[in-house]
This record gives sequence, structure tokens and C-alpha cells, in this order.
Amino acid sequence: MKYKDYYAILGLERGASDEDIKKAYRRLARKYHPDVSKEPGAEEKFKEVAEAYQTLKDADKRAAYDQLGAHQPGQDFQPPPDWRAQWQPSAGESFSSEGLDLFDLLERLRGGRGRGGPRVSMPGQDYEIAVPITIADAYQGTEIDLDLNLPDYDAQGQLRRVPHAFKARIPKGASDGQRLRVPGKGGKGFNGGRNGDLYLNISLRPHALYRANGHDLYLDLPLAPWEAVLGTSVQVPTPGGPVRLKVPAVTQAGQHLRLPRRGLPIPKGEYGDLYAVVLIVVPSVVSDRERELYRQLAEETGFEPRAHFSEEGSYAS
Amino acid sequence: MRVELTEMLWFEEHVVSLSELAELTGLPAGMLEELVSAGAIEPIDASSPEPRFGAAALSAARHARRLREDFDLDAQALPLVLGLLERIDGLEQQLRSLRARLPGRIR
Repeated sequence: MKYKDYYAILGLERGASDEDIKKAYRRLARKYHPDVSKEPGAEEKFKEVAEAYQTLKDADKRAAYDQLGAHQPGQDFQPPPDWRAQWQPSAGESFSSEGLDLFDLLERLRGGRGRGGPRVSMPGQDYEIAVPITIADAYQGTEIDLDLNLPDYDAQGQLRRVPHAFKARIPKGASDGQRLRVPGKGGKGFNGGRNGDLYLNISLRPHALYRANGHDLYLDLPLAPWEAVLGTSVQVPTPGGPVRLKVPAVTQAGQHLRLPRRGLPIPKGEYGDLYAVVLIVVPSVVSDRERELYRQLAEETGFEPRAHFSEEGSYAS
Repeated sequence: MRVELTEMLWFEEHVVSLSELAELTGLPAGMLEELVSAGAIEPIDASSPEPRFGAAALSAARHARRLREDFDLDAQALPLVLGLLERIDGLEQQLRSLRARLPGRIR
């Protein structure tokens, strides 16, 4: 079994007072709680902190933990026989700490659940996991392999970690930030308690061309100045295949040209829209002939793009 | 090891009663009622004698359960924190939406 240094996780010395333990937990929970933290890896970090606090705030568990002695974090160790005799007298010969993790071991102390006494029913735990998918997955639907290690209650009401592997079908129509609930696929309930649920939090990976907003997609549409002035018809990619888009004459930069129902599917059979966001781009290399034509255009045109500057904006008299 | 294909439910399509909400989140019904009267959890049909709750309520109630357990929040602090979290969610949503609309090259 791997040793975990619960004091170090909370940033404390071994002799810390109950009050120090509570304070350290509060400070770290504020920093790493997944509901309020934006730190990378916050969720994992919070789990460690919560586990350390669950152990050290309970006088029995803390005493049992302290008697295991101090080891290096991650170091392999076994609880000595006299420790067992003191803390797990009824576990008997059959007891094995094989596959148990330190937290589970401390859950099984004398007087803990499953030591006889009234059996209460316990609901299984809910689990929440992040599932990043591509825009193609959201468009077509996809299957993902989930390989989870969930704490469950066994027949004696003991917590243990059980691997669950299953395939999950993400139906088409997922969008960024959407959640799926998989009923009954969280931790198992104990003694008639309902099974926990599994929640999948979908996020869309960035795409080279499309940006998603809900089920709508945005695509940059670069146009040459003459295309924007004269209008044109261009082929644009959409998740369902390329389509022709008519660009009207005198299209301005920043305008959104809408392609209805060319975005991501919505679960009830509808589709979001695709918007082409107009960019006006100029060539970085121009020939002498092109430069001459631009010069002629500059002389010819009456267009004043900054006419509104002269009327407002300067305050000196 | 069992390998099976599992179908899922869109979270957004959930509509549940108060007692189902309590069961799904593990929050006591009394606590949920307090959160509803404080406006931190809103039913879809506020006027109905047996209110129904949608995904937003389910999400808020799950947050409430975690926050209550992990931070020892009381009935006064909980609606306040939930309200602020909801505002942050809304702002982040607006930010994502604006980012999608802006041309990629000038971001």
C-alpha cells in the first residue's frame, strides 16, 4: 500500500492542533475546490486535500494513521501486525490489505461501518468526469471508452475501489459545456441505497476552422477587397460538406453571413447555424501592374473611409 | 470485466419533482425548500402547487450539496454563493460567445 503524508498535503506538522487542521483545510478548499477554483488540476488537488481532512479531523482515524509512523509519500508499506490487532481486531485471518488504499484502510477501523450493528442504507456516490470531444464527434455522435475506478460498498458495507469499464455513446448534438447523466453508473449504493450517477461534462476541443457557440458555428471568411465590393460566390466548408455561399456586393469586414442549419445538430433533430465572419484581407506581395491599378483606383475613387473623424473627437480650440 | 454500451440522458432535458431532486442530489428536502424560497433554486413552474425543476435547478442543487459539505456553508451563505457562481457561469458563457464571434485573426 502506498503511504500518503496527510499532514504534508495540508501543509502541517504532525503535531498540528484540530484547529490548525480545520484552518488548513478551509484555506486549501477555498483555493482548490472545483466549484470555485480555476487552477489547473484543482479537482485532483482538492480530492487529496479532502481525503487528508476526512482522516485527520476524526480522532480515531488520526490516531490510527499516526501509529502507522511516518514514511515517504508514495513509499510502499504494510500496517504491522500489532497495529492490526489494535485497530482491526475483528478482521481476523481473512483480512487482507491487498488492493486497499490507505484511505480505505482507515475507513475500516474498529467501530467503523460493517462491524456489525445496524446496517444503514447508503446511496452510492455521484461521479463527474470531463470528456473533451472534437467538433466531428459532436456532429456525428461518438463512442467513448470509460475506464473508471470508483469506490463502492461491498456486501459488508466496506468501501473498496472497483474498476468499471464501459463504452458510452455520446449522441450527436453535444455542445460545449453540456452535461450527460448516466443513471446508476456512479458508485454502487449499499443495503438498498440507490446507485450513484455518473455525470459527463462535455467540452469541445478547439478546431482549426470552426468556433462553436452553443450549436452555432463561426468560420472566418477572408475576402479580397474586390470580392467584398463586387460580390462573389465562394465555396465554404461546413461539417456536413462544402456549400456555396453568395457574398453580396458591398460586404463589409466583420459582417456575419448566415448559413441556416449548417451548424451542429441539436438533440431534437434541429441544427444550429453556421456564420461566416467576413475578413477583408490584402495581398502581401503585389506586382508593378497591380500597384499601378491600385494607384488608378485611388485617384478615381471618391470614397472617404474616415469622413466621420473630422466631425468629432478633437477638443482643442 | 463487463463491457457494455451505455445510453445517456442529456442533462438539459431533466425535469424532476422536489423529492426527486432531493434524491438525485442527496440534499434534504427541507434544505431544498429553503433554497427555493431564497430564490437560489428556481422551479420551472413557480405557480404550480407541485413545482417541477429543470437542469439549471439540478445543477444548482448539486453545487449546493458539494458546497455545503465541503465548506460547511449555512442556509444564509449557500444562496449567496450559488448566486455568485451562477453569475460567473453566465459571464463565462458570454465571453465564450463573444470569442466565437470575433474573427480568429484579431484575437
